[in-house]
Amino acid sequence: MKRRTFLSAAAATLAAPSLARAQGARALKFIPHANLTVVDPVWTTAYVSRNHGFLVWDTLYGLDEQYRPQPQMVEGHTVENDGKLWTFTLREGLRFHDGEPVRARDCVASIARWAKRDAMGARLAALTDEMAAIDDRRFRIRLKRAFGLMLDALAKPPSNVCFIMPERVAATDAFTQIRPEQIIGSGPFTFKRDEFVAGSRVVYERFAGYQPRASGATSGTAGPKVVHFDRIEWHIIPDFATAAAAIQSGEVDWWENLTADHIPILSRNRNVNIFTPDPLGSISILRPNFLTAPTNNKLFRQGLLRAVNQADYMAAVMGADPKYWKTGVGVFTPGTPLATDVGLDLIKGDLNEARRLIRESGYNGERIVLLATTDIASLVALSQVTGDLLRRLGLNVDYQAMDWGTVVQRRASREPIDRGGWNIFCTNWAGLDHINPAGHHAMRGSGAQAWPGWPDIPRIEELREAWFEAPDLEAQKRIAAEIQKTVLDEVPYIPLGQFFQPLAHRRSISGVMQPFGIPVFWNVRRA
Amino acid sequence: MLAYVVRRILATIPVMLVVALVVFSMLMLAPGDPAAVIAGDQATPQDVERIRQALGLDRPFFVQFADFLWRLLHLDLGTSIFTNLPVTHMIAQRIEPTLALMVLTIVLAVSVAVPLGVVAAWKAGSWIDRGVMLFAVFGFSVPVFVVGYLLAYFFALEWELLPVQGYTPLGEGFLPFLENLILPAIALGTVYIALIARITRATMLEVLAQDYIRTAKAKGLGTRPILFLHGLKNAAVPISTVVGIGIALLIGGAVVTESVFAIPGLGRLTVDAILRRDYPVIQGVVLLFSFVYVLINLLIDLLYTLFDPRIRY
Repeated sequence: MKRRTFLSAAAATLAAPSLARAQGARALKFIPHANLTVVDPVWTTAYVSRNHGFLVWDTLYGLDEQYRPQPQMVEGHTVENDGKLWTFTLREGLRFHDGEPVRARDCVASIARWAKRDAMGARLAALTDEMAAIDDRRFRIRLKRAFGLMLDALAKPPSNVCFIMPERVAATDAFTQIRPEQIIGSGPFTFKRDEFVAGSRVVYERFAGYQPRASGATSGTAGPKVVHFDRIEWHIIPDFATAAAAIQSGEVDWWENLTADHIPILSRNRNVNIFTPDPLGSISILRPNFLTAPTNNKLFRQGLLRAVNQADYMAAVMGADPKYWKTGVGVFTPGTPLATDVGLDLIKGDLNEARRLIRESGYNGERIVLLATTDIASLVALSQVTGDLLRRLGLNVDYQAMDWGTVVQRRASREPIDRGGWNIFCTNWAGLDHINPAGHHAMRGSGAQAWPGWPDIPRIEELREAWFEAPDLEAQKRIAAEIQKTVLDEVPYIPLGQFFQPLAHRRSISGVMQPFGIPVFWNVRRA
Repeated sequence: MLAYVVRRILATIPVMLVVALVVFSMLMLAPGDPAAVIAGDQATPQDVERIRQALGLDRPFFVQFADFLWRLLHLDLGTSIFTNLPVTHMIAQRIEPTLALMVLTIVLAVSVAVPLGVVAAWKAGSWIDRGVMLFAVFGFSVPVFVVGYLLAYFFALEWELLPVQGYTPLGEGFLPFLENLILPAIALGTVYIALIARITRATMLEVLAQDYIRTAKAKGLGTRPILFLHGLKNAAVPISTVVGIGIALLIGGAVVTESVFAIPGLGRLTVDAILRRDYPVIQGVVLLFSFVYVLINLLIDLLYTLFDPRIRY
């Protein structure tokens, strides 16, 4: 018996009974990658809110590991009228946590709210002529024209996810957060509002009324969601060293995002297992501003692209072991159907070629404002490598260090440099966000409507539209290659590499999964 | 005396108003936009603007400040922009761990530092004195988080005696409560012990050189009554002042300590709120800390009258 176990047992004799109850073997203790502050996954795009959503709410379709939508809450669907009329039928026996049955009108209201906040949802809404419940278990969507990505939209796991909420909750304005007492879903876990301490602890309890799908294999966010724990506790531990110590000492079972610095330490612990669960990982990018000089100059941006060596960036983010990162990253996430190597030889770390292009761009020593993040480890590394690269290119770098909250605000500024404007910032996207053009905001060329940086590249927008209309995967791939060629020529952003953050879990649990980077709490059990 | 206390309490009102104005202005002038943080990377500028409007952040500065003051008058600190929970509820959830950590730290620090300082002064120039002063330099020089990591490494990982992180409320048993809090209290208390020990030593050295101490010794009084009854009582005013001032140190240190030991206290709440630009939470917590600080200063002033009857208000 460990000394602490012995001491804890002695202490428990003096403690109230609730302590022993809370520490039962039926509880799983988990450290999420971030603090859960927003509990409405439609109101925000924060990944941690989406992950919380997968415990509480269910989806009409799940996405399997081959990126194929699979029925989840639905029993099935029919398509008529040349793809313009979709009828969905819910499984029998679905219930919300308050005991109310899940009805078709709940689905209609939930889809409508989600569509106001999600790019693919907005696309669906724009094409929708009518969406209505037929009866309690069936609803239909009548389209103006066929939409081949209907199921992909309803199954998509990147934020925002089309979670099904009770109609009265889904009636909330999409730009207003639902209240904590409205966290009622039909997912496998209920949210314990009375135990929620934002920034410290989030507790979920197994929903006894949940009915997993009767058949199929668990894959991705699809398949039967069988729960083996009565209670899931999220412990928010912002300090990485403390999180590492907590999993070593057995105080927690599972750490979602192991940092590079702690991989060697935890690898030596025989009670801890480490693996990279998400083959899509994260994609790092450098974003130039199209409104300010000199990054508004195409030749200058092409010079930056030639200068980038993805290995330098990834080694800074995840350490020297290439097991945890990948180079040769283009517009679409490596290993996914649309990924291509067209034009990737342009990203080659050639400083001489880069200097030539920058010279030709007419650069004359103008100040280049780099918004450098200080409070997120991976972004610190990306900013530092970028700062060093710009200096090696002989550029006049103004390295402005600030926390991420300030970067988010500063990057929204469209002002010139002398009035608080900026030229470059670096960030990460989930690999899942870059598997196709629908949710890929970094590549967009919609000018004033685009993500900060505001590239105005009509050709990319045309190609994106064409992708939505593409009849099959082969056609989609051809368009994706054309998109990549255009992106590498116009440089709305520069891909800096792909990295895979491992998770760590105690060997006392098995069945740990984080499909698409989402920790799911079904099928995991005590070993 | 009562009139003085009432006067001092009334004087806190303008102080709190100034604090409210300064905090509100600083937050409004500081860069950062909670609406952009909430909306995330996929949001359009229109989405961000709609969220800003829904949160009332698009209103003019004075309208927002007047609204804030009006709510404050009704003891309503508002609702967190992010969690949608009342700020008072969030503070209530977090106050116990911070209060417990601070009280335990003060008790630990005073009960260790005062005897150390007294003994160091009594044995001035000896190896004991030098040892105490060496410890004081160490306490001042080593950052709280380093002490915290060292304690966690040895006591939790190496010797497996105490947990690494977390907090158990007092209501769930005294021993589990202490088990979670002892390492953070030692980590946070180190600098505090150093500060109090040095002041105690310096003040005691001065007191021990006084004529009445020599008289006490001449009368054959024992060392213990001389040091602790006559000496320490007369050194108590500056020591209690330092203890009071040190509360500010503790508030700052609690932010770091709560992060290192994952204690769900007000320090972590403040840091999280600042990083997210959760204005109502930042305002609420800063106002609370300011109020506590003002109150502790009042308490220390009142304590002077106990230690030194010559002091009258």
